[in-house]
Amino acid sequence: MEEECRVLSIQSHVVRGYVGNRAATFPLQVLGFEIDAVNSVQFSNHTGYTHWKGQVLNAQELHELYAGLKLNGVNKYDYVLTVCDPVMGDKWNGEGSMYVPEDLLPVYREKVVPVADIITPNQFEAELLSGRKIHSQEEALAVMDMLHAMGPDTVVITSSDLPSSRGSDYLIALGSQRTRRPDGTTLTERIRMEMRRVDAVFVGTGDLFAAMLLAWTHKHPDNLKVACEKTVSAMHHVLQRTIQCARAQAGEGRKPSPAQLELRMVQSKKDIEDPEIVVQATVL
Amino acid sequence: MEEECRVLSIQSHVVRGYVGNRAATFPLQVLGFEIDAVNSVQFSNHTGYTHWKGQVLNAQELHELYAGLKLNGVNKYDYVLTGYTRDKSFLAMVVDIVRELKQQNSKLVYVCDPVMGDKWNGEGSMYVPEDLLPVYREKVVPVADIITPNQFEAELLSGRKIHSQEEALAVMDMLHAMGPDTVVITSSDLPSSRGSDYLIALGSQRTRRPDGTTLTERIRMEMRRVDAVFVGTGDLFAAMLLAWTHKHPDNLKVACEKTVSAMHHVLQRTIQCARAQAGEGRKPSPAQLELRMVQSKKDIEDPEIVVQATVL
Repeated sequence: MEEECRVLSIQSHVVRGYVGNRAATFPLQVLGFEIDAVNSVQFSNHTGYTHWKGQVLNAQELHELYAGLKLNGVNKYDYVLTVCDPVMGDKWNGEGSMYVPEDLLPVYREKVVPVADIITPNQFEAELLSGRKIHSQEEALAVMDMLHAMGPDTVVITSSDLPSSRGSDYLIALGSQRTRRPDGTTLTERIRMEMRRVDAVFVGTGDLFAAMLLAWTHKHPDNLKVACEKTVSAMHHVLQRTIQCARAQAGEGRKPSPAQLELRMVQSKKDIEDPEIVVQATVL
Repeated sequence: MEEECRVLSIQSHVVRGYVGNRAATFPLQVLGFEIDAVNSVQFSNHTGYTHWKGQVLNAQELHELYAGLKLNGVNKYDYVLTGYTRDKSFLAMVVDIVRELKQQNSKLVYVCDPVMGDKWNGEGSMYVPEDLLPVYREKVVPVADIITPNQFEAELLSGRKIHSQEEALAVMDMLHAMGPDTVVITSSDLPSSRGSDYLIALGSQRTRRPDGTTLTERIRMEMRRVDAVFVGTGDLFAAMLLAWTHKHPDNLKVACEKTVSAMHHVLQRTIQCARAQAGEGRKPSPAQLELRMVQSKKDIEDPEIVVQATVL
């Protein structure tokens, strides 16, 4: 990182494990970014464990922290990273369900997405934001154009149930990046990636993905294909290491626990710094 | 790190900058440790800036977080790391947690930086409430395994002033007797043969031989002063000392050489960048003097040795 690139990340903190700021901070730091972290909550661990305890920040307290930075004249950032990875819901077996109160949807649609530059919804979230269902790749591309029109120049649908030619143990991700040519016309780069599913429930992967996408789109600003290949490849290495360690810890025939499935972040440092490319994005 | 080594670090968090958990987490992570972090406060930045704002955790909330880990059966640690604390009841809760974690794992190592104050121009003053001293002396230090006091803190804990190296070694023996097998006096105003722009650090590690007798390894290091006020250096030092004593368990000399060398590289990079940012003849601001942590990753991972510790 030739020049200091400063990120303000506003996400949750867990004492143990890797979600929210804990998933974003280490990768961005090892990739050379100065990441300032506002912890919107502090919990013992993520809410997928049997138990969790902790405290949340209210809007007033969040504002107080920002005011401190502003008073010191250090409220200068190149990136902001938040749950503008609109982690709102997901589909299980084709049925969508929301993880956060439904009254947040209009806030995202009307206030958050319009000021976002890069968004990383999954298919369900893309459908909610655009108000349109996705049954095919063409519809997905149309939805991404609708999302561009709402604000962000970069849209990555991080997972979908679109069919892959490689079979049902692959999932499709799509990316779209709009740039403005000097003559005023827009150029849209669209890509498609096929990613092997891993048979486990991981938590924090969306947060890790968004952080690494920030890093790789920064290093490859006009090349969504390469940025996504590096991001998805790094994810693959982290998840493979995680599932192997988790299964070893759980033992033969036993399903790993949430504690055992925590991302092997620290152990994957080299893969995060310089991922071996294991996925090819197709330019559409 | 062949086997997973898990650290519980209970320190402050700042949104911007590198003190407390922000100084400890990155180095320990890049050195391969799993570090779980309880943030005792969340402030916008450290309190050396003109302004700072934020919130503190109380003892009850600390206990709540620990209870969450315990309910999930994941309260198993190899190390605990603590630093600057201002609240007596918070510190007492930390001690309760350490005691319980030691019951879970009798080999747990508690690394404690007993932050209480420092000396300026020969005069020491406390920057925490005075009622913390008896808590450190009677409760914290007795359960600590590694402590990193500066000279003033070593004097406060032992009740004895240090005017010479012999007195410093005697004070370290007194501190060993209170509990910790490893004591590093991280800075002192003892004179260096190299002149006044060097400061002396001393280390002492007690190990038990198979026959029951004790062996004490004592070392001395001379470190070049840097003409600036850095914040977070003690926190960074304690975190890296944890890492290097883990990797070199019976070799305080090497552990300290690596720790101090890494510190040197981080501070050099920081002061150079800070001066460049401030401009000719201007004194760098607290914001400009923030440790260049991320940029020093390689020095932290594998420090080039630039200091020789003398075995005494």
